[in-house]
Amino acid sequence: MKVVVDGVTLDLPPGTSAIDAVFAAGSDVPYFCSQPYMSPIGACRMCLAKVGAPRKDRDGSWILDEETGEPKIFWFPNLMATCTTAVMDGMVVDTRSEPVKAAQNGMVEFTLINHPLDCPVCDKGGACELQDRAYEYGEGVSRFVFDKRHQEKHHALSDLITLDRERCIHCKRCVRYFEEVPGDEVLDFIERGGHTYIGTLEEGLPSNFTGNITDICPVGALLDATSRFRGRNWEYHHTETTSLDDASGSAIVVDGRTGRIERIKAGHHPEINKTWIDDGTRFGHEYADAPDRVRRPLVRHDGRLVETDWADAMDYVAARLTEVNGRDVGIAIRADATLEEGVAARALADHIGTGQLDHAPRPAGGVIAAGGQARLEELAVAGAILVVGDVTEEVPIVDLRIKDALRGVTPPSLFDHGAPIADLRLKERAPRHAEILTVAAPLRVDLMRHAGRAAQYPAGGERAFFHALTALAEGETPADGDLGMPLEAATAAVDGLRKAETAVVVLGGWVLASLQATEAALHFCRAVGAKPMLLGPMANSYGLELVGVAPSHARYAYGGMLTGAKALILSQLDPAIDPAVAERLDKLELLVVHASFLTATAKLADVVLPAAIGYEKDGTVVNLEGRMLPVRAAPVDAGESRDLTGFVKAFGEAAGQRLEGRSVKSARRWLKKGLGVDLDALPEHGGWAPAKRGPARVAVAVHEAPAHGGALRVPTMVRAEVLDRNPHLRAATGGLALGLHPDDAAALKLRSGDEVTVPVAGVPRRLVVRPSEAVPAGLATVPATPDEPVGLVPIDLKQIALERRALEVA
Amino acid sequence: MDLPTLKPFFEDKPELLQEILDRYPPNGRRSALMPLMWEVQRAERHIGEARLHEIAEIVGVTVTEAKGVMSFYSTFHEHPVGRFHLQVCRTLSCKLAGGDELYRALVEETGLVSGETDAEGTFSLQNVECLGSCGTGPVLQVNDTYHERVTRTRLAELFAEMRAGREPVPTRERGGDNVSADKAERVDAPDGTSVDAPDGTSVDAPDGTSDEEGGVA
Ligand code: SF4
Ligand code: FES
Ligand code: FES
Repeated sequence: MKVVVDGVTLDLPPGTSAIDAVFAAGSDVPYFCSQPYMSPIGACRMCLAKVGAPRKDRDGSWILDEETGEPKIFWFPNLMATCTTAVMDGMVVDTRSEPVKAAQNGMVEFTLINHPLDCPVCDKGGACELQDRAYEYGEGVSRFVFDKRHQEKHHALSDLITLDRERCIHCKRCVRYFEEVPGDEVLDFIERGGHTYIGTLEEGLPSNFTGNITDICPVGALLDATSRFRGRNWEYHHTETTSLDDASGSAIVVDGRTGRIERIKAGHHPEINKTWIDDGTRFGHEYADAPDRVRRPLVRHDGRLVETDWADAMDYVAARLTEVNGRDVGIAIRADATLEEGVAARALADHIGTGQLDHAPRPAGGVIAAGGQARLEELAVAGAILVVGDVTEEVPIVDLRIKDALRGVTPPSLFDHGAPIADLRLKERAPRHAEILTVAAPLRVDLMRHAGRAAQYPAGGERAFFHALTALAEGETPADGDLGMPLEAATAAVDGLRKAETAVVVLGGWVLASLQATEAALHFCRAVGAKPMLLGPMANSYGLELVGVAPSHARYAYGGMLTGAKALILSQLDPAIDPAVAERLDKLELLVVHASFLTATAKLADVVLPAAIGYEKDGTVVNLEGRMLPVRAAPVDAGESRDLTGFVKAFGEAAGQRLEGRSVKSARRWLKKGLGVDLDALPEHGGWAPAKRGPARVAVAVHEAPAHGGALRVPTMVRAEVLDRNPHLRAATGGLALGLHPDDAAALKLRSGDEVTVPVAGVPRRLVVRPSEAVPAGLATVPATPDEPVGLVPIDLKQIALERRALEVA
Repeated sequence: MDLPTLKPFFEDKPELLQEILDRYPPNGRRSALMPLMWEVQRAERHIGEARLHEIAEIVGVTVTEAKGVMSFYSTFHEHPVGRFHLQVCRTLSCKLAGGDELYRALVEETGLVSGETDAEGTFSLQNVECLGSCGTGPVLQVNDTYHERVTRTRLAELFAEMRAGREPVPTRERGGDNVSADKAERVDAPDGTSVDAPDGTSVDAPDGTSDEEGGVA
């Protein structure tokens, strides 16, 4: 459609909003209430412009202007909110004339009437939409000489978000966000007119995605509690990178100041997280600066770990390694190491001459489906979705993209100015097509609230569940009880998947934990023509599997090397939390630990090397779709911490060898040769990983024992292993939960909030009792960590030790 | 007033609940929010938080949302109002007709200011915006009933009734603006006959006070 904005002629698709036409033309109107990826509502009246259009006569011809002979432009009698006006053919928009300026002026003055103008003490100062628009479009004077409205200025909406009610300009972005994006309506306008304020009756904002409102609030009303009063926006160094907290590859911006990370904000990746991130990703950064961070290398002398430097520590490692047969050395790295680190680990293994190389956690079923897998964009438009697992906790962004699919609005195409500011297809309270979604899990999970069908199969029954579904798909009658839902529901789910143009089956960690279950699931996908989406356990599970950070034989896998190897090099892994493993590690000839904290394993080590964490690395990860994404280091003071490439460089120097993977650059040379990808030329939003896997090494299935036990290790949105070092998140979550059915808790005489220690698969876990109807009777849930991956494991509830604080004892 | 019990309000009213829910299509269940709130408020003179939770659960919204709706309407009360909820219009037409005097008289009579309820739970006083009866100001709404052109005499009568524990009989104007206050009749008198308006001497307006002060906020 032809549209003329301030004299610039554009050709835009129908349905485009006038405000996007204005931006597409390079003009500008101020706006507060519109927000990309959310419905336009025309609430703030800031985006007013003069709008006109030609009209047709009764006979269908354009009414012509007598003077020019051109179609006559009929101006709307009033200025129009461009965000809620769709373009029409021949439309003319004028954003520069006097009436528009007067309106902008008036709206700025009006919006500021009750605004406290406390920018000098406001965290948003310098990055505030209101401040900017007031400068650009306001007169700088107010005629309002009366008392301003006074409201609460430090209202803790939750442990993570603080609300200043005086600063709020009632744009309704935050309220709409909760309804439209996560679908948790936990915030609303209370009262009306001049008394309106934002409030909640929901204790602690129960949603996994609350932090996004601090990004979209156009003023300093909603603030991230972890960064309040910590710095000014212009002092922050903004690093655009990829989150290493889960396998989604979400774009984040790390804001650092004087060497410390102050906050994490959502980045924009139109095909992954759009502009949203979960609270675990946003607020879970405080551990990077925890006081007990290991900042210098440590070497054991006379039984004590003593600080030293890298060269010294590596001389020691290299010397000691010569005493061990290379084949007896095991190397294991955590699955959120970058591709480049993976190359470094391989090079190290090759140099030492060992087949005992692995990354962990590595699910038995693998994370790369042989026949290709669904992309997030496909998930977001799928006509039928089956989820097996708890995606909301596992890879929260997948939860949001599923909710996109429920709305049935395809992702918008981008303009040069980015995602549409006002996507007119989006509506408040849009109907959701719950019937396209089936969610199955051994317990009640959050996404079931949004699903048309929910199935609760017995814990550990993933394989049987998919067998039963496949039987249904092939016209047979499945065994009773395996489906966890009525037969008709299961039939409807299977039919839906079969008939939908795009059908996606999301496989969570409980499925991937078992090779047989994964195979059964993939078989089912083929049977109904659905694409699988495998939720890898960590940020680079896909990538490390791709480059072949894997053992040369099944018995050399991570679990095997813990018993079989004589010397171990472990990066960011902490197997010694299991006392039985700790005992064995203690007897090793050499234990080298690359870690950020003095973990149980590091305490046993001969050498501890300080490890960089996700925000401090440069490199590349491959997300669960197989998309290579850039990881960029924020300027953070992490002492002498290095990533694995730095480790290998120092090792090579000590061993007198220039090892591959000794730097990001050298690792990339290897990747170019080995995988044919040029990571230096990676486009801004990443690129697809090659189908080809790394040479030489083959990923071997881990030996699989059938799962059994009374505890289900469940994924958590927060990184459970560092929760204690994330004080805000810890307060908000109340600690790591031991989930029990209320009857089971009562039988054990446990109350909500009791702190207990209980052995789970041999590992003593400190947990907080949380009785919940969501957990089936007879099952306990405990949070998974990288060292205790998701799955069914034994728990010894008889050995539960209760520590009730004196005051709480009734 | 009875203390609110913990028993869910609609527990023993399944038919009423069903009748209200049936007014709306299944996907419009949230529309039942307000009718349900009215039921509670009519019975309990306010909507306590437990009731709000109950209603939110019935219609399937979060309690925050229910609160958003409830607080939007000043007619829903968070705290119990007195047996007689006195709502006095403070918008322009009523003010010109003596609304301020009426409010002041109410303050004197009850010892309350707007927003308050007395300790006995008899009276609540509240300033409200235009009640939509501008031609017959000053208007006082007692519970659900309008009392128009409230003069001192009428006010005294109203209080006599209310203090005696009776719901006062509404005074409505016949003929609207065209009839002066002293011609007004009370309708629906208890015995069914019309009662003559009090004579002009007791009406506020002619002594000029409202002209001096009316409309000054
Ligand atoms: S708190 Fe912020 S986002 Fe929410 S309505 Fe107010 S100004 Fe808008
Ligand atoms: S009215 Fe707020 S952006 Fe248009
Ligand atoms: S001004 Fe009082 S009823 Fe309208």
